[in-house]
Amino acid sequence: MAGHDDSGASGKKSSENEVPTFNVENMQSNMKVVYYSRTFMSIIGGVIAGILGFTGLMGFVVYVLVMAITSVCLTAKAGFSIHSYFDSWNRVLMDGFLGGLLSFVLFWTFAYDIVHIF
Amino acid sequence: MAEDLMLDTAIRDWVLIPLSIVMVLIGVLRYFVSKLMRTSQLPDSKIIKEGQLIIRARNLRAAANFIPPKAFRARKVYYTNEENGLLYVPKGQGQNPQAQMFSDPNMAMDMMKKNLSMIVPQTLTFAWVNFFFSGFVAAKIPFPLTQRFRSMLQNGIDLSTVDVSYVSGRSWYFLNLFGLRGLFSLILGEENATDDTQRMMQMSGFGFDPSKSLGAEKDGLDIVQHDWVLPKFEQRAEAVLRKRLS
Repeated sequence: MAGHDDSGASGKKSSENEVPTFNVENMQSNMKVVYYSRTFMSIIGGVIAGILGFTGLMGFVVYVLVMAITSVCLTAKAGFSIHSYFDSWNRVLMDGFLGGLLSFVLFWTFAYDIVHIF
Repeated sequence: MAEDLMLDTAIRDWVLIPLSIVMVLIGVLRYFVSKLMRTSQLPDSKIIKEGQLIIRARNLRAAANFIPPKAFRARKVYYTNEENGLLYVPKGQGQNPQAQMFSDPNMAMDMMKKNLSMIVPQTLTFAWVNFFFSGFVAAKIPFPLTQRFRSMLQNGIDLSTVDVSYVSGRSWYFLNLFGLRGLFSLILGEENATDDTQRMMQMSGFGFDPSKSLGAEKDGLDIVQHDWVLPKFEQRAEAVLRKRLS
């Protein structure tokens, strides 16, 4: 269930003329995929930042970078047509941005200590 | 004051890793225990009926624009009619579910069990950490913090010249507590009882749900403005079919 986009985002049916309709279950499942992807990537990013020895502000820059890469990859997976999978750009770009921060810090500290403070 | 302390390898092996492993295992254990204890819950039929009613009213509100105006009005009156509308709850009865919830022994026991299963492992682990892992530097956090955090993070270390980045075991415990939530959501699936804040929100919202949300749904239905968006759907169907066949 490590959610790196293998369950696939489900498309939502939306009628053409001005009326946006959303299939709620599919939208929720898409949001779950986004959440799992971000959590997984923040853990991996934390381990990478720790091993490479980033400290202080650089580490948070790495976090923002990892989140941006995740957003780009999610957008690419959705075929760049965000509106048929999510209801707004904010959902896929901003949602859960800070949610992975704590996991990131934990694994960053962990890896940094194990590798550098021996 | 940025000297690089060289910490013993034994601290790595015997403090950081065991603490993390123990917390992960306790989280998994708590998940399974809460799943086992949850099966003995008999749902109350009245509350379920009201919940389904709310769902139906909400669906009507969400899809109101797809049915003709007369049909929508008929359904709306069915729900919000003053005498025998389904959503109309007289003020006196409104308080009942909440009082019933607190006096009902079953539900109180259930809430207490959930509380215990959350608080007890945390308290025990915290006491264990304090007993064994206090009084020495356990880890170095890779980013600098101000002096105000010193008392919080370095509780066992009484030297004031040590950099605030070097923290004690207690702060490693707290870091694990918050950071492993994400990991649990990955390995245990969504329905895991390790997220305190989520659970507390659920619990505080449970008591008020029936009485207040009926009134809220009624108000929501009252203010919906019906705008039928499918008056021309025959033409639209024709256009779509033409596009398909051409």
